[in-house]
Amino acid sequence: MVLLSTPVDYLPIAMMFVVAIGFVLFVMFATHWMGPKHKSKVKLEAFECGIESKGNSRLPFSIKYFLIAILFVLFDVEVIFMYPWAVNFAEWSKHGLAAFGEMLVFLGLLVFGLIYIIRKGALKWE
Amino acid sequence: MKALIVIALLGVVTMMSEVFRFKKLLLPLVVVGLLAACGLAIGDWNTAIRYYSDMVYFDNYSLAFTSLIIVLTLLWLIISKGYFVSDSSRAEHATLILFTLCGGVIMTAYSDLSMFFVGLEILSISLYVLASSNKHDLKSNEAGMKYFLMGSFATGFLLFGMALIYGAAASFNLVKIAEYVQTTAAHGQTPMFVYTGVLLMMVGLMFKVSAAPFHFWAPDVYEGAPTLITAFMATVVKTAAFAAFYRLFSTCFGDISGFWAQTLAVISAVTMLTGNILAVSQTSLKRMLAYSSIAHAGYMLMAIVAMNKISGGAIFLYATAYSLGSLGAFACLHAISKYGDESIENLKGFAADNKIWAGLLGVIVLSLAGIPPVAGFFAKYYIFYGVFQSNFTWLVLVAILSSLIGVYYYFRIIITMVQPRSEKATVLPALTGAHKALLLISALLALGIGIYPAFLQGLLS
Repeated sequence: MVLLSTPVDYLPIAMMFVVAIGFVLFVMFATHWMGPKHKSKVKLEAFECGIESKGNSRLPFSIKYFLIAILFVLFDVEVIFMYPWAVNFAEWSKHGLAAFGEMLVFLGLLVFGLIYIIRKGALKWE
Repeated sequence: MKALIVIALLGVVTMMSEVFRFKKLLLPLVVVGLLAACGLAIGDWNTAIRYYSDMVYFDNYSLAFTSLIIVLTLLWLIISKGYFVSDSSRAEHATLILFTLCGGVIMTAYSDLSMFFVGLEILSISLYVLASSNKHDLKSNEAGMKYFLMGSFATGFLLFGMALIYGAAASFNLVKIAEYVQTTAAHGQTPMFVYTGVLLMMVGLMFKVSAAPFHFWAPDVYEGAPTLITAFMATVVKTAAFAAFYRLFSTCFGDISGFWAQTLAVISAVTMLTGNILAVSQTSLKRMLAYSSIAHAGYMLMAIVAMNKISGGAIFLYATAYSLGSLGAFACLHAISKYGDESIENLKGFAADNKIWAGLLGVIVLSLAGIPPVAGFFAKYYIFYGVFQSNFTWLVLVAILSSLIGVYYYFRIIITMVQPRSEKATVLPALTGAHKALLLISALLALGIGIYPAFLQGLLS
């Protein structure tokens, strides 16, 4: 086989790797060396909105928060799909209602999912 | 296409069956729906239509594989009753099975790499959950986690490969990629990163079909997952993954086969040797079947290496014969492993108690080993013949050698089952009606295909 590209052509990529790693290392060490250091008790404390921190942060908390958050992300992401659709809708709607119907199918499936999680009690807080 | 829509809608309906309280209708609904889907797929035979601006292409190849995985799911449903009844979330399990099937159908029929990825993900994500569906069993949790982590990593390779191919061909469409590869290969101007893309996609796909050296997840996941899910993974999912693998390489990369065929030939040889040699020393029947499924992946890879006129039919016949045999063997394993002990010693005394069913299991095992009158032999024959025609004689020799190793451990099943029961054995092999039915059907089909293999093979040639 005849090679269109030789390994030398990929040299810029290797250089980019070197630059990327070099930049990270440089910044890490530079901040370490150049910054002033004040090691007082207050400075080393975890910052908690001005309130004194107390106790362990690794407390078990209700799984419900996680469930709600993950369901929110799910529907949030699905709503994002509507933006490109809405932007292109004016153009598509000239050729009939197919684009509208497709979005209805998508939303229909979404509504089924919503019904499912509500009936399963995933959003019940008590 | 109609079959795909029916299966997807059926998944949504079964998901609703719990919240709208028609759980009792669940299994009848799934069976009727799948029968309808299978009928629709067969009804589309010889139509070859491209849907949605060439996103999916239901030609005879994909229709044959679609019908095959639907039929396998139906057969699997026969023994799956216990899995759905004793669980509080059986509606979800049925839904996940249907979505896995849906992904599998897309993987047999994609005509666009993005669609291939969507199908693969629908299949994989449902399967990660199913592998860990035995929530209170640590091994099942481990299996799900392992499968998920390694599976997503392998998907990364696949995606990177797709990106490189897209970068070269400027299209995800299989036909366009094939045209691009053909024109550049004809002028000897295939850019290097197309080769890289092909290799990376091969890595991702070989993980999915558990070919060595990407097979390490398979024994652990197969062992940890609930036996019924293992049976589903080893048959339906593997068939779908091979359908996708063969479709991609036969459509797009046939013109640069000089580049990847040798690599794939070596990998296929390593896979069948690894699978067969490691299966010999297993004491757990489930692990043994897992290694045997790795070995069979090696044989099916040979059809992709050969890539000639008869390979399409050969890989279809092989997938059918292997899946039927595996389903039968897993049905037996499921019957004897009710108390969590999957040791092969449990089979002792099996033949004395169940004469007819032991005979049928014998037929199935012979088919897996590839002994003449049964389906497995003719499946191997067509595969070897195709590879021979493509001048990979050494690969055929390795394959025959590893088949001989395979015969050893397959016959160990038969020898163990005719031995008298040991005193220590606490587990009494008990076959329920469902297990008997599946054993009977798969053994009869294996015999039937063995008598007239040219029918299935000829469908796609």
